[in-house]
Amino acid sequence: MTEKKEPLFDDENEKIAFLESVLFVSKDPIEPERLIDYLGCRRIEDFEKLLRSFEKDLMDNNRGLFLKRSGGGLHLSTKPDMHEKLKDFFTIRRSSKLTIPSLETLSIVAYRQPVTLAEISDLRNVNSVGPVKNLLQKKLIKITGRKKVPGLPALYSTTHEFLLYFGLNDLSELPSLEELTEMFEDKEQPSLFD
Amino acid sequence: MSEIHFTPGSDIYKIQAEFYDGPFDLLLHLIRKNKMNIYEINITEITREYLSYLENSKGVNPAREGDFLMTASTLIYIKSRSLLPRPAILEEESPEKKLMETLIEYDKIQKISKLLKEMEGRELMLWKREDVKENFENSEFDLKEVSSFQLAEIFLNLLKREDGKEVLFLDSKNYSIEKKRKEILKILETEGFMNFNKYIENMDTSEEILVSFFTMLEMAKQKFIVAIQKAIFDTISVWKFDSGEIVQ
Repeated sequence: MTEKKEPLFDDENEKIAFLESVLFVSKDPIEPERLIDYLGCRRIEDFEKLLRSFEKDLMDNNRGLFLKRSGGGLHLSTKPDMHEKLKDFFTIRRSSKLTIPSLETLSIVAYRQPVTLAEISDLRNVNSVGPVKNLLQKKLIKITGRKKVPGLPALYSTTHEFLLYFGLNDLSELPSLEELTEMFEDKEQPSLFD
Repeated sequence: MSEIHFTPGSDIYKIQAEFYDGPFDLLLHLIRKNKMNIYEINITEITREYLSYLENSKGVNPAREGDFLMTASTLIYIKSRSLLPRPAILEEESPEKKLMETLIEYDKIQKISKLLKEMEGRELMLWKREDVKENFENSEFDLKEVSSFQLAEIFLNLLKREDGKEVLFLDSKNYSIEKKRKEILKILETEGFMNFNKYIENMDTSEEILVSFFTMLEMAKQKFIVAIQKAIFDTISVWKFDSGEIVQ
């Protein structure tokens, strides 16, 4: 952005310390590009190396955090084995999962976006105003346009929050429908009537 | 995963409704159970199963039975069509084809939902900076009960809408709270839920709307119903109040 800067950091360790500080402070994932620029990494490989040694540091020293890459950026997250104790400590009932109608609706939006309410309702065979409103409220989907058909119905797509919520970097990380079929064919459901 | 238990010799059925949401789910399970190809559903067999199920179930959730019946009747319709001689029909008109397609799509949606659920479960174990503060609510909807003042305010807004309309005739019908109460209860019994705004939409006179509104307030006060509004100016939703739980 400006003229050539003096290197801000003395060594790799300071860069890692800075990386940790940034990720500690930020609530949102930080795009790697921003960090690469600021840390003065000339090549992506240098930056990757930095990330790896930071990751190693977190892993080897039995720390409670790990470096997470999702939502198109980097952030710190607690390790999964801390989950129960954190829940207990903060007396939080983290059972706030999405309901089946919401999940179904979200599935349709994720794989068919942009999609209208009528199309969603048709696929689910049930009026889906409720789940759509709910997902809008939770910012997991948003209106991205209007379909050029009579009535100009709103078209819904998934959001950045959707990616974060499901730990994705972008939509291409979702398996294709073919892969999905294979995925679930392996673990053939036991007959539900036995 | 849903499980449907048919207890022999009894009319009890139990659905552990984690993945059950409508008649197509049941149909899919029936297809899987009988190891049928989704393209070659043995309508007779499934219909028989449906009918025996319905025969065995007495006094169960009418809304759910309605769903079953709806699917069962579609199947029977398809079956009867296949029995009757008929001229060749166009492909896209065929209800069999439409049902197949819907089922295949529905099956896909189920798979994606399952996948998302797994991913959600994994992600919820990982806490990020914002989580403690901005955690999703425990309940799915952020519903709040509205005060009678808010209800009155919304109601006045509704009345204002009526204002512009030209009065063509004056009716002197008598509306009683008791009658309205029965009417509302009946709607709640059959529908399980009532959209108050829609309910009063087709009423002819402000008088009738007023009586309906007072009836609703009175019923809420006596804890027969719960009135909920998701956001200001939004519709008022009414549920039956049942031992502190919202019956949906």
